Amino acid sequence: MASREFNVRALPGFGAVAIFTLVMLYLPIIILVIFSFNESQSQSAWGGFSLKWYVAAFNNSQVIDVSVRSLWLALVAAGIATVLATLAALATTRVGRFPGQTMIYALINQPLMVPEIVTGIALLIFVAFLKVQTGYAGMGYMVAAHTAFCIPFAYLPIRARLETMDLTLERAAADLYATPVQAFTYVTLPLLVPGIVAGFMLGFVVSLDTVVITEFVKSAGQDTLPTYMLGQLRRSVTPEMNAIATLFLALSLVVVSLFFLITRKRG
Amino acid sequence: MKRDSHRWKWILVSPALLVLILAASGPLLIVAVYSFLSPGNMGGVAWDFSTDAWFRVFFKRDIFEPENVTLNADHLAVFQRTIWLSLQTTVICAALGFPTAWFIATRPANRRMIWLFLITVPFWTNLLIRTFAIQEMIRNTGTLNTALLWLGVIGEPIEMMYTDFAVLLGMSYVFLPLMVLPLYAAMDKLDFRLVEAGYDLYASRFQVLRHVILPLVKPGFIAGSILVFIPSIGAYVTPRVLGGGRSMMMGNLIGLQFGQGRNWPLGSALAMVLLVIVVVALVFYLRITTRETGGRDGQS
Amino acid sequence: MPDGDGQSGNEIEIEAVGKVFGQGDTAFHALSGIDLTIRTGEFFTLLGPSGCGKTTLLRVIAGFEHPTSGRLRIKGQDVVGQAPNQRLVNTVFQNYALFPHMTVAQNIGFGLKMLGRPRAEIAATTDEMMHLVKMEAMAARKPSELSGGQQQRVALARALAPRPRVLLLDEPLSALDLKLRKEMQTELKRLQVETGITFVFVTHDQEEALTMSDRLAVMNQGRILQLGSPHEIYHAPTERFVADFIGETNFLTLNVIAVQGRGADLALPGGRTIAARVAEGLTPAVGTTVSAVIRPEQARIVPQGTGELSATVEGAVFFGTDTHIHLRLSDGQPFTVRRQNNDDLADPAKGETVGLSLTPGALQVLRG
Ligand SMILES: Nc1ncnc2c1ncn2[C@@H]1O[C@H](COP(=O)(O)OP(=O)(O)OP(=O)(O)O)[C@@H](O)[C@H]1O
Ligand SMILES: [Mg+2]
Repeated sequence: MASREFNVRALPGFGAVAIFTLVMLYLPIIILVIFSFNESQSQSAWGGFSLKWYVAAFNNSQVIDVSVRSLWLALVAAGIATVLATLAALATTRVGRFPGQTMIYALINQPLMVPEIVTGIALLIFVAFLKVQTGYAGMGYMVAAHTAFCIPFAYLPIRARLETMDLTLERAAADLYATPVQAFTYVTLPLLVPGIVAGFMLGFVVSLDTVVITEFVKSAGQDTLPTYMLGQLRRSVTPEMNAIATLFLALSLVVVSLFFLITRKRG
Repeated sequence: MKRDSHRWKWILVSPALLVLILAASGPLLIVAVYSFLSPGNMGGVAWDFSTDAWFRVFFKRDIFEPENVTLNADHLAVFQRTIWLSLQTTVICAALGFPTAWFIATRPANRRMIWLFLITVPFWTNLLIRTFAIQEMIRNTGTLNTALLWLGVIGEPIEMMYTDFAVLLGMSYVFLPLMVLPLYAAMDKLDFRLVEAGYDLYASRFQVLRHVILPLVKPGFIAGSILVFIPSIGAYVTPRVLGGGRSMMMGNLIGLQFGQGRNWPLGSALAMVLLVIVVVALVFYLRITTRETGGRDGQS
Repeated sequence: MPDGDGQSGNEIEIEAVGKVFGQGDTAFHALSGIDLTIRTGEFFTLLGPSGCGKTTLLRVIAGFEHPTSGRLRIKGQDVVGQAPNQRLVNTVFQNYALFPHMTVAQNIGFGLKMLGRPRAEIAATTDEMMHLVKMEAMAARKPSELSGGQQQRVALARALAPRPRVLLLDEPLSALDLKLRKEMQTELKRLQVETGITFVFVTHDQEEALTMSDRLAVMNQGRILQLGSPHEIYHAPTERFVADFIGETNFLTLNVIAVQGRGADLALPGGRTIAARVAEGLTPAVGTTVSAVIRPEQARIVPQGTGELSATVEGAVFFGTDTHIHLRLSDGQPFTVRRQNNDDLADPAKGETVGLSLTPGALQVLRG
């Protein structure tokens, strides 16, 4: 008789599949990062360590140009989306059912449900129409499109935070003669900050990652880093692309780590 | 008093709603309208009512004999491939995601967060970069072929790029975290005493999985499936990079109609078809979930 | 008497079982040197305070915990290393653990289904079990649509349906209110007698343990302190902890005057001598001080000057059926007497001096 411990949490083979899956999840990314440091142009043969592709990327004025555009667009869109999402969350959380609620939820979550390609071509049509009507062809369209796309992502953590917040704190504040505005400023808002920060970070990452919407909304010369990369992928790729992707990955990793730490602390 | 507080709510939500209506929902209505217009000469539309775009979604006329109408085999092949690849992606993600989520959920509590983090990181890294990483793996001169050649397993590179396989691999790869996360959430709430009760009542490992664990984590399974299926149906970037013109999905077919000199009304009609498929999937999802939770509230 | 499959014999034999959770600095001994034999067909209770290891011991028997040391036999067969789904032992879990996605009938039939029994047999046994626990009318309900007591009965029926050799019950009544609890106590006892299945019952309620069990073990900090019939445990506790944990007790510190066999003569305050029983395995030395116990109902208040002891009344507390009279002995030790309220005796006044008469043979010398 095998005297082995019986583990109710074990299921045969599951551990092996899980490890396989996690390895497969990281292997392509790790290989991509490794070859960004490759001396030779090959994506499969190692020619020695080198930073030359990073140097090339930093000397490529187009890469710098689209990166800067991507970053400021993400900051602006996520910033506006966070403000709007905070207001919306305050109005829609903890109030019970009210007329129009379903419609509001549907509108807020629409960018999550509708495929990006559909939103993308819809915006293309609308923007083309507006350009003709107004003559304006600036970044405003991109900012609006990215903002709308970021709102649901910013809304989720803020709403979650509001829902788990202790209502008695606000009542206690009111009990101590705070006006509603004071109660909000001194009690609700400070408690809401982690949710707002998390919402902003989600929005930032989402805006930074969005390819399809940008691809269809952008006018000439409005490429972002992802659409630039998408264009390059059709040509033969040099490890310069690996270097750019690695830097991009590093940025995402930092933001996700921060997000994880912020949302975890309250859990 | 009550009406007053409602007014405040509307004032607070209206900026968000305004942006959403202008930059997300409103344009959708325009797409619906455009699908009933005629194509313009250089892209764009001409403002004449026409059902031609909808007709062309499914049928095609012979150029020389216009009364000779046949099904549009090219489009139908794309629809079929889109749905088939999306279903396969969902199944692959479920098959890999379930053991992975279970593995994470059964780690000691202090280490669970690390595993969860490992799943979450790819989820928030750029989809294009992850697709690019897959491309680098499976190109003819990519890592996989080079490794296999070096090992002597194959004599010449396997052509993997621009095939259905490449798209399936890429979509499974990029959407997998979307399956793992809701499954993990469901398993995290699982009451392991119920699993113990199963073993106590003579169930085998497989029986516990089938009769106790699966029914209890079903909501996570359904949520994960819908979260993978919907972006797969609407995928654009992954099939464009890995499938190219040969293994096109609906998203790419729609995108093509908005290139230069193409057919905007047809693209709009195709987009509406895609939207309908998504809505059907969502309704199906809502019906399952309301039936699952209808009448009772969670566990005892 | 034959020791086969009959009514008598040993169902579960536990030898020197220990269970350590964790390793190194964080190692925690949840069970230490448990020696225990549970007889076939008996109602056996594990009694002890929270965290003493009752659930752990039950889980070792069920197969959910692997003992760190020792042996465990069920019906003579060594089961260490045997999976829970191979042991003919069923558990009624502390919070029932009913499957929320199954109906009452499906829950009850689950074990038989897993054993691959024919449909007809499953249906028949399920009906029988629902009848046994009076839940026929609710066969199609889900657990979330049942009251606590009903859920408890389903859990019981589910565990009984496969007709296990042993039923393990982990505080099955703790979630119920007092009235329901009393009802279910009777019910459980009836089911145990009717089915003849060995019950291993866990509780931290001493009254429950005394009224229901054939035998019980009192546990503390992972050890069994005393094993015996309810009568033995109540009237002849061997350790201070046992005496204190079960019922109310008067502890007296007294001098040993003489020792003969299983008894000892002790000096009472005031000069009299009394014969006391001595806990098993203990031989007190003459001239030493020992700790002895006597239950409050084993002393009577008698007129001053009579009885073995003299005491001053400090107060009385009315409990409905009886009254507790708090006294102080002549040497200052506290003492409580419980008097039933069925006679019209007036409570003695505060400050009054009275005599105390102790039931002969009731005083017990404790270990340690
Ligand atoms: N898996 C575990 N890891 C570490 N310690 C544990 C584990 N399970 C139980 N313990 C510890 O072992 C001791 C005994 O636990 P057990 O559950 O057996 O107590 P119990 O007598 O059933 O208490 P209660 O009456 O509260 O149910 C407790 O101190 C508990 O903290
Ligand atoms: Mg317990």
